[in-house]
Amino acid sequence: MDVGSALYGTPLFAQSHRVDLTVSTCVIWGLWLIVGFAGLFPGIVAYMVWLERKVAARFQDRIGPNRVGPFGLLQSVADGLKLLVKENIVPRSADQVVHLLAPVLVLVSAFLTLAVVPFAVGLVPIDPPSGLVYLIAVSSISPLGIFLAGWSSHNKYSLLGAMRAVAQLVSYEIPQVLSTIPVVLWAGSLSLVSIFDHQVAYGWNALNPPGFLAFLTFLIASVAEVNRTPFDLPEAESEIVAGYHTEYSGMRFGLFFLAEYLGVFSVSCVATVLFLGGGTPLPFSAFPVNLLDGSVGSYLLVDGILLAVFSLKVLLFVFAMFWVRATLPRMRIDRLMNFAWKYLVPLCILNIVFAAIWYEVVVRPGALTARNWAWGMIAAGLPVVLGVQLVFRANRKLAAARAVDADWPTVGTIAEASR
Amino acid sequence: MGEVVVARILFLAIAALGLLAALGTVLSRNLVHAALHLVGFFFCVACLFVMLEAEFLAAVQVLIYIGAVAILLMFGIMLTRNTRGDDATSLSGPWRLPGLVAGLCLFGALVFGINNAVSPSGASPWAGEAARPSLVEREGEPAWAAERRRAVEDMGRVVGEEFLTRYAMAFELAGLLLTAALVGAVALAHRDEVGAAELPPTVEALPADSAEPVGTAAS
Repeated sequence: MDVGSALYGTPLFAQSHRVDLTVSTCVIWGLWLIVGFAGLFPGIVAYMVWLERKVAARFQDRIGPNRVGPFGLLQSVADGLKLLVKENIVPRSADQVVHLLAPVLVLVSAFLTLAVVPFAVGLVPIDPPSGLVYLIAVSSISPLGIFLAGWSSHNKYSLLGAMRAVAQLVSYEIPQVLSTIPVVLWAGSLSLVSIFDHQVAYGWNALNPPGFLAFLTFLIASVAEVNRTPFDLPEAESEIVAGYHTEYSGMRFGLFFLAEYLGVFSVSCVATVLFLGGGTPLPFSAFPVNLLDGSVGSYLLVDGILLAVFSLKVLLFVFAMFWVRATLPRMRIDRLMNFAWKYLVPLCILNIVFAAIWYEVVVRPGALTARNWAWGMIAAGLPVVLGVQLVFRANRKLAAARAVDADWPTVGTIAEASR
Repeated sequence: MGEVVVARILFLAIAALGLLAALGTVLSRNLVHAALHLVGFFFCVACLFVMLEAEFLAAVQVLIYIGAVAILLMFGIMLTRNTRGDDATSLSGPWRLPGLVAGLCLFGALVFGINNAVSPSGASPWAGEAARPSLVEREGEPAWAAERRRAVEDMGRVVGEEFLTRYAMAFELAGLLLTAALVGAVALAHRDEVGAAELPPTVEALPADSAEPVGTAAS
């Protein structure tokens, strides 16, 4: 990572992403695969499950797991062992090959998204020049896996869940992708490392009006992408048994479980990198990164600080998702679709124009100054507020003017719903 | 030279897998299996893009063809009556010959088009062999080597620039076509509102004291 070129070069300058295929690179990649992807990330997922159970228990005035080990810390190990030794039942009428392939596809998609996340300076598995497109591409594989899971089970609840899942994931993918466009515009690059460098120079992306709007849209769309409450319609227990994984048991179910929590983790990481400045503890200063002087000691110190702050931010996101899950009920399917297509997508498209204003006023002059920043807050902040007002107002009018005979229930009135 | 041999073996393996997947697409009896084979074929094409040092195009290939087109195909299958995808869907007797003729015509058109594609250096197209220029700057390299280096290092930007300059016409035409398809789809799927409105409103079914929906009277 070359912070210097991002600090002093123009934003339109692209840095090199070349990798020499030497022995040391191979060793580093091998370490990432073994320590990171086979060891650390599944471990994080296991303890996220423990944390969720503890947090949810606190919200419901219970204690949560406390029998296995101190504070129930060994509960995740016990759960993992249980899933591994459980019998794997495949329905006789299921499509055997596709039934096996589906959870693998979902899990692979969840793992691959983590491959471009820069955790700290130099601590990134790979840094392709089009990292963000790669990220979106691999995360778009998981709807396919979910669909195949539902289809291959030969069960109507599975198929219903799969159809819901695909409709929801495809719809929410659009605002998720559109809300990253401002970030790409400001950084002038699709590489996540360049985006991090840009935020070191210009402050966190979430701390300006268009960026904040994009951040909120990204968060909502991401929660929907990982099928968490209030967007957990694909696996709604009270309606369609367990949705697409009704017919899965044993470790194949465990793979879906792992993929879901891995998705939560990777979405939190991506949100941190794109909008909250990665591991930098202060929004408008290059604080730990400017301590780098080429020595190993400074490198270790800086990466230690960055990694600690990064984990804290990720933990914050993860906790927020648990909080939402413990608080909000499930959405109705028509409101879910309305929200994506009538609120989020127009807001995102408007926000690209507001992001262009911010780019012209603040980023284009070359360095962050207080005067430009204040001007940008006014010039981009007002349109953002007006745009949000406009979208919400137009939608209220539309919903109110809706014909009473509409066959598709809209955000509606009691009279419509009781029909 | 070891790298060249490895690259060639990789290419042959990927191409063979791609061909197998394509055959599977045509020969599977089950529609969903055929779509899955098609996904495998798209993935092989993405692998070939990676081998051509165009990882942006590979990502776009996966995003559009696997993430969007394949999912739409599956949706299409689910909207038919045949959701298991295992009905006899092969063409019946009298349609086989016209289908064959149409397929051969498409093949001929594609071979003609690829054979006569404009190659950048004016060299013989796709039949000859040429070494890739190094990504490291060297003296005496041809002028387009620098351009290629720029494209490899920041392909998203270069593709965008080409779309808005050299291929602007094709890009806009494709956009127009897609918009027309979208409008057509909406027109097909849109229910005839006038017919529905002429039916007697089912107000009688509501209890008499049910309140007027908020906002309907005002608008």
